[in-house]
Amino acid sequence: MKLPFGRTTSSPISTGHSASLDFAQPEPVDLASGKYVKLWQGPQHPGITGNMSLELTLDGDTIIDCKTHVGYLHRGFEKLMERRSFIQNFTVVCRIAVPEPTFNEYLYSHAVEEISGIEIPERATWLRTMNLEMMRLASFLMWIGGQGGAFGQYTVANWTLAYRDYVLDLFEEMTGARIYHMYIVPGGVRAGLPDGFEGRAREIMDGAEKLLDQIERVMFNNTVFKARSKGLAIIPPEMIDPYGIVGPNARACGVKRDLRKDEPYLAYDQLDFDIVTGTDSDAYERAYLRLQETRQCISLIRQCLDRMPMDGAFQADMPNVLHWKVPAGETYVKAECTRGEYGYYMVTDGSELVRRVHVRGPSYTHAIAVMERLAVGNNIADIAGMMVSLHTYPPEIER
Amino acid sequence: MNDLMERLQRDFGVDDITVRKPALTTFRVKKDSAETLIRELRDREGYTHLNFMTCIDYIEDGIFTLVYMLHNYDKKLSLGVHVDISRENEDMVSIHTLWAQAWTYQRELREMYGINFPGSPRLEEDFCLEGWDDIPPMRREFDTKEFSEQRFGHREGRHSEEPRDHMKVELYPNRGGDEK
Amino acid sequence: MNLKDLLSPFFVWQRAFEKPYTSIRPTIDRPGAPAYRGFHINIADTCVGCGSCHEICQNHAIDMVAVEEYLGREGDSGLRPRFDYGRCCWCGLCVDICTAASLRMSNEYAWISEDPTVFHFTAGVDDKPWQDNENGYRRAEGYHLYPPKRIEMEMLPANESVSSFEEVVKGYSEEQAKKEADRCVECGICVATCPAHMDVPDYIHSIRDGNYEKGLQLMYRTNPFPATCGRICTRRCESVCPVGILGEPVAIRWLKRLIVDQVDASDYQRILADTITENGKKIAVIGAGPGGMSAAYYLRKKGYAVTVFEAQESAGGMLRYGVPSYRLPDNDLDKDIDYIVSLGVEIKYNTAIGKDIKFEQLLENYDAVFMSTGLSVPSSMRIHGEDHPRVLSGLQVLADVANGRDPGIGKKVAVIGGGNVAMDAARVSRRFDAEVTILYRRRISEMPADEEEIHESQEEGCRIVQQAIPVEIVSADSEQQVAIRWGEAEMVDDPKGGRPRPVLQEDRMHTDTYDSIISAIGQGSNLDYISKEMHEEFAIEWGKFTPGEYQHTTLEKVFVGGDFANSTADAISAIEDGHHAARGIDRYLNPAAYEEK
Repeated sequence: MKLPFGRTTSSPISTGHSASLDFAQPEPVDLASGKYVKLWQGPQHPGITGNMSLELTLDGDTIIDCKTHVGYLHRGFEKLMERRSFIQNFTVVCRIAVPEPTFNEYLYSHAVEEISGIEIPERATWLRTMNLEMMRLASFLMWIGGQGGAFGQYTVANWTLAYRDYVLDLFEEMTGARIYHMYIVPGGVRAGLPDGFEGRAREIMDGAEKLLDQIERVMFNNTVFKARSKGLAIIPPEMIDPYGIVGPNARACGVKRDLRKDEPYLAYDQLDFDIVTGTDSDAYERAYLRLQETRQCISLIRQCLDRMPMDGAFQADMPNVLHWKVPAGETYVKAECTRGEYGYYMVTDGSELVRRVHVRGPSYTHAIAVMERLAVGNNIADIAGMMVSLHTYPPEIER
Repeated sequence: MNDLMERLQRDFGVDDITVRKPALTTFRVKKDSAETLIRELRDREGYTHLNFMTCIDYIEDGIFTLVYMLHNYDKKLSLGVHVDISRENEDMVSIHTLWAQAWTYQRELREMYGINFPGSPRLEEDFCLEGWDDIPPMRREFDTKEFSEQRFGHREGRHSEEPRDHMKVELYPNRGGDEK
Repeated sequence: MNLKDLLSPFFVWQRAFEKPYTSIRPTIDRPGAPAYRGFHINIADTCVGCGSCHEICQNHAIDMVAVEEYLGREGDSGLRPRFDYGRCCWCGLCVDICTAASLRMSNEYAWISEDPTVFHFTAGVDDKPWQDNENGYRRAEGYHLYPPKRIEMEMLPANESVSSFEEVVKGYSEEQAKKEADRCVECGICVATCPAHMDVPDYIHSIRDGNYEKGLQLMYRTNPFPATCGRICTRRCESVCPVGILGEPVAIRWLKRLIVDQVDASDYQRILADTITENGKKIAVIGAGPGGMSAAYYLRKKGYAVTVFEAQESAGGMLRYGVPSYRLPDNDLDKDIDYIVSLGVEIKYNTAIGKDIKFEQLLENYDAVFMSTGLSVPSSMRIHGEDHPRVLSGLQVLADVANGRDPGIGKKVAVIGGGNVAMDAARVSRRFDAEVTILYRRRISEMPADEEEIHESQEEGCRIVQQAIPVEIVSADSEQQVAIRWGEAEMVDDPKGGRPRPVLQEDRMHTDTYDSIISAIGQGSNLDYISKEMHEEFAIEWGKFTPGEYQHTTLEKVFVGGDFANSTADAISAIEDGHHAARGIDRYLNPAAYEEK
């Protein structure tokens, strides 16, 4: 099928039973023949989410091979955590996914609490829930900007990135920091809501709602955006499990999975929301689904403000963290981040240090196996938009 | 769950079955049956999702424990499959034909722990550590502190006192317990 | 392609008229949020330099550096945190753990310099513009990184304790002790305050590890009376414990007790493994109280043949005759003493120096002499009628009870004084079924007695009358009774800034009749065994010695320690005096060993 702007597109994946999916790597091409061009996109490139790079082999404008390279943000967090105390680690984990530090804080704390048998007070579960939803909102706003920018719509990118700062203002007030909040701590949270927070939060939610309506008019009801994103990078349903695809990337093809509903944690079982799904499973569908989920965030934050207890304890009784020994155990905890299942696998051996932490970020497969597969057969001009539509964050791959 | 575990015990000789929480059970299986067992869990038992694959270094026992976390979306249950292999150059059976992301994990484990997965694609390619010249850094014997002490300097003029020692030196040098 | 999709994007123009998001710097200043985690503030006067901030910092961004003006303050290490902003990540854990709540953060976040080495400062000491910033992050109320409250100690209920001499404090269980030991932040400030400089954080650590043998070894390094001190120590360590600044101090005394309670006396030899190599020198120790026995222990360990001369029929001094057994049971005191004796320390009981043996003889026959005869003579109230037969001394009452004799106090008793002896005498009287009134010159809050003792004596039904000054003892109608005339006092502030002084109010006088009046207002030393000439040679003033370095007196061979040679007059100081004198004696008799050091 020939689309405007000279882009060829077709589903690169043959449909069929999952068992018949072929994970084989493409054959290497003969670069010396002069027929092909090898091109590096990234690690510093506005069309790349974060710092990673794509090693592209092109035949004309068409990508015939894509290899992803990570490691530009590798700081060895999993290793660092093995030599820091349980309390110290909570200040480290937020750095694992820069745009969504809170999920790391929550999951790390939750894993420690689960193994040590600590029950957090109700108020803390609400504060955590709201914090996570605020994080989702901020992250989605940044993503919308990225998606718009990748298709040349920098106006929208400026709107959302600037508005994200208002959400960061809320974080600053609530947690004392804009990016690395370090608010969710093993045992609960570090503080309740500051005076007057609720009013300001509601004001910012109202503004965000208005902004999203404007974005829908400007970015989604937009010929250019539609032309470039519709039919791009379709993920067929049979790819979902074999490629470990989760979150909006899976929901956009009709897979109704959301950990907030399927295995409710924190206060999610007390909140009203539905899983948003799509059908077309292309870049546009994923984008539109995320827009709806962004709206859902606003509703969830409002619900949290309506329903959370405004006083009472926000921290469980804790042992002295200076020599805190967590009993030997093993657990895997997960939460639905903006990109799907985010998980912490933790093994403890009864000492003052954690034995092993493995951080599972959805980008691990979305940005590598899925990306490499979907890129093949697409036009070089679409690669940035495609990558953003998978919504990947490299630091969580490298940890 | 119990039925499945009984069957796995019978057919694959799994042991060390531990219910970590209602939604998570872990067990240990011998290396030789691991791939078959995981394949069977995926194809026949609905554990279609590979959450992750990782490794724990039990240096004191001389083993690496590989962990395959599988998830069943319908039953909302997870299984942690543990496989022990020797720390010393032992190969592990690759599962890159089962999940598309498996080879990435295996490439990472190769780089971070030095585990070999024969047949796994692009295994020798650098993952995170381009130009790394030391031992695989996630192995327990790799000391990050020592590594950074060797390569990076400290700010000049830093010095810290222990309150207790400082007070002894300053206030009661000749008293207290004799040297141990 | 539809028309709507083509037109809709032009909506962007509407935004052209909206207020911009951005604000212009530096025209508009944008302060951090009120709870922003910005640059550090330390209230250096409140800080005690415990180093918990240094301990918890995962970046090693905090050094503890000496700040001259704070050295030597009670309960203060003299160190203050110094921040390396090349490493800090502004997590604020240092603020969260701060035991004194002196560390906080400002909402200031801009510090610009061309010199990268300047971002290194001692908060609250180096002058920084944000030091007085009122905003910024601080630990929220109700958020703790260590339990602020101590594990409650189980006690015998007052209605039971008052009718028996059973030990009132039941002691922690192992599990409780582990939890209590967990609260320690291991700063070691208590080590400096403890007169014996016990390795408190270390033995508390051994409790967390469940390693009581290690704990016992650690305690004996500085104190051979752990069973005793674990019960009745004045525990000055707890008064400086930084955990007690915002919460309750770690129950160091009860933790010490737990270690001893967990180890059987028969295992002491094996655990402590004190091997003795005789050095052929002989030391005489006068008085088998805590000071004397402590000296004996450490001297014996160094290989000296030690002979202790004790006037009473048992060892322990005030611990045995002055402390009632519901606070310190005899067998626990014996646990300490028996171990010291088991090392080959000889005690000559019922041997009073000056009566049975002359002091000069000791000087002649021994290589060195350690004197520690304490304060055994009750002080006089200096009021008329004090020699009335129904006026008893607190010490005598306690000694009678310790010896198993009926103190003969009657059923209605007044105790004069506010120290521990007064409380003990009062509570002992309650156990003999007497109705007890305690008269104290000042306010209850100023009583020198241990706060717990005051509280427990009240629990047990002793009535405390504060601001009551005894004026005169008068005879009562019956010979079995005595009356006291006392007046109420008003507290008058001292213009010089000292503590307020009680002033008798002549118009508010009372006279009450009791079966006996127990005077417990203090005690002095009995140094009759030393000749007049020697008194002068020792430069004894008010019955007290002022020893030099290593407890040495002006007399070459003689060392002193204990209540009559220090200002604190408690068991733990006497123990340290004994230990320190042992060092001194060894230095004196074996100087070669110390020459190089």
